[in-house]
Amino acid sequence: MNAIIVLILGFVVAFIGYRVYARYIDVNVIKADPKKATPAKMYMDGVEFMPTSRNILYGYQFKSIAGAGPIIGPIIAIQWGWLPALLWILLGAFFIGWVHDYASAMIAMRHEGASFGGLSHRLISPRARVILLSFIYFYLLLIAGAFGNVVVSTAIGLKASPMAWLLLTIAGVLAGQMIYRWKQDIILTTVVTVAISLFGIALGSWVPSNAVLGDALANSRWLWAICAFVFCYFAAVLPIWRFALPINYVAAYIVFFGLFFGIIGIILKAPNFTLPAITTFSIPIGPLWPIMFVTIACGAISGWHSIVSSSGTARQLESEVDARPVGAGVMFLEMMLAVFALIIAGTIFTSAADYAAAIKLGPAGVFAKGVGQFLNVLGLPLDVATSYGSVMMIFLAITIMQLVIRFMRVATSELLSDVSPVFRNAHVGTVIASILGLVLVMTGWWQYLWVLFGGANQLMASLALLLISAWMVSEGRPVAWAFYPMLFMFVTTIAALLYTSYNLLVVKVLSGAVKGEALIGNTFMGVVALFLVVAALILAWEGYKAFRRFRAARGEAAPSKA
Amino acid sequence: MSGKHGEKGKSIWGKLREFLYGLAMHEAALVAIQKKAHFEHLFMLITMGNLLGVPIVPHYYTLRLLPYAVPRLAGWKRYMLREKDLTDKADFG
Repeated sequence: MNAIIVLILGFVVAFIGYRVYARYIDVNVIKADPKKATPAKMYMDGVEFMPTSRNILYGYQFKSIAGAGPIIGPIIAIQWGWLPALLWILLGAFFIGWVHDYASAMIAMRHEGASFGGLSHRLISPRARVILLSFIYFYLLLIAGAFGNVVVSTAIGLKASPMAWLLLTIAGVLAGQMIYRWKQDIILTTVVTVAISLFGIALGSWVPSNAVLGDALANSRWLWAICAFVFCYFAAVLPIWRFALPINYVAAYIVFFGLFFGIIGIILKAPNFTLPAITTFSIPIGPLWPIMFVTIACGAISGWHSIVSSSGTARQLESEVDARPVGAGVMFLEMMLAVFALIIAGTIFTSAADYAAAIKLGPAGVFAKGVGQFLNVLGLPLDVATSYGSVMMIFLAITIMQLVIRFMRVATSELLSDVSPVFRNAHVGTVIASILGLVLVMTGWWQYLWVLFGGANQLMASLALLLISAWMVSEGRPVAWAFYPMLFMFVTTIAALLYTSYNLLVVKVLSGAVKGEALIGNTFMGVVALFLVVAALILAWEGYKAFRRFRAARGEAAPSKA
Repeated sequence: MSGKHGEKGKSIWGKLREFLYGLAMHEAALVAIQKKAHFEHLFMLITMGNLLGVPIVPHYYTLRLLPYAVPRLAGWKRYMLREKDLTDKADFG
């Protein structure tokens, strides 16, 4: 199969999904009303609630949801074959992904811009909110672990990336200083800092990390893991404008230049898929169902989007009809990003054995090699282009990781400050988050870690769909379009988490198959997976009770209406 | 940041420019606005705190400043009294 056909198929799915299915739900079920005042207009405070053009929000939403997730998931999942991965990306986004993102924004808009904690309290029960917030903490921890692992494996496997990472940090801090302190022109700031970052990529190619640090240090997982968490520590404790935000700003240019020109490279090269369409039902990380459905999270459906849509975007939409382009439209754009990653993994290797050797070292090497080949089509030397790909991957991962550790610092304070005031201290919260993340990175096998992250992500999505279904039932509207995706995601994700925790705790830990660091990592990951399952089951039970309550209330109300 | 003439009045380049702004700069602008608002809310709390049951300065000064604060009072009270949770404090930058 040619990659162009796959790209066209992706565009067709996105077009039909957006123009037909999403439009139908928007007009006939949700009944989006352009005349209805949105929270952004009703409660405009110029801070959280602020009417913003949908084109701006389109870019903002895409930047907030598209990270390393839609790229790494398909690269790993191609181990089952590219066809099942492609089908899940297309069908997942068509039937579930956009529903989740769009409806998360709509439910928040129709409830005065309430966040998911408030919505679960209002629509399900007070207990649901407490469990949801605890669940979010472990979800964040797994993101930190999974992305931390990507950073470490990229820094070790692709020796050009640490130098680029260092210069990005310098460029980012400089960007913050120039914009917010020196009040410099934004275009000048952008040109200077992006040029420094690009120079870092070239410098990394000329002076790889092993030439500076020696082979032992350059290959040390401890060194890069500590570097990653020290970086995140600064991102968490410094004001956001000083470190995290400007670094993300500069990194965004590097990443989007790479994606844009990479896609042009694919179109010009028009490669054929060289890996098999279907391999086998079961691979070392698990069977196709349910594990593949959590391995590819972002790109098909991702719970992170519901947090962005409800707490971020919904408070800025100036009209209800903008929710479809921003919520659903951006999800389809992310789907195309996942298709792009799948094409990279499926077309650049000469045989399945080549891919198997590459994926053993982590997905970053696969991505870097692919981006290198497609940028090379446009004339960039192969070694610099491959370095560029490795830098894109490390930037994608570290920029998400720093925000997650920052979020965990706030979460520690919110959840534990009643236990002891010491948890209100920003440094304490950050150190706790960093140590837990470091334990996961140093002791967990990256493929299991990715599956657990995907599982937590998909569970978050199931919970969002549960809230949306409860809202539909409470208003007596058609619910099937949200309920069946919720049911599918719930069953699949719980099965995936149970399978993974069984593998970790029973097959590996209790049988004595692992020792030392791996014992700690497997036990920790297995327990976290079990916690997520228990939390999700309690939430499902609370959701079921809420459904019954709403149905009973509507049953009582119906005769009086008649 | 809201479109004055609606979406139909915008050229494709205008839309593209807005998209790129959203992609690159919107979060930074939000952070700057939130930083400014944080100090404004702090000032309002110090001067108008007794409207929320938190008297910090004597009422005399509150009453002297009240006419200047009136346009902002509703938004400020809603911001202060709105229930917030963990997900409200996430940075998506």
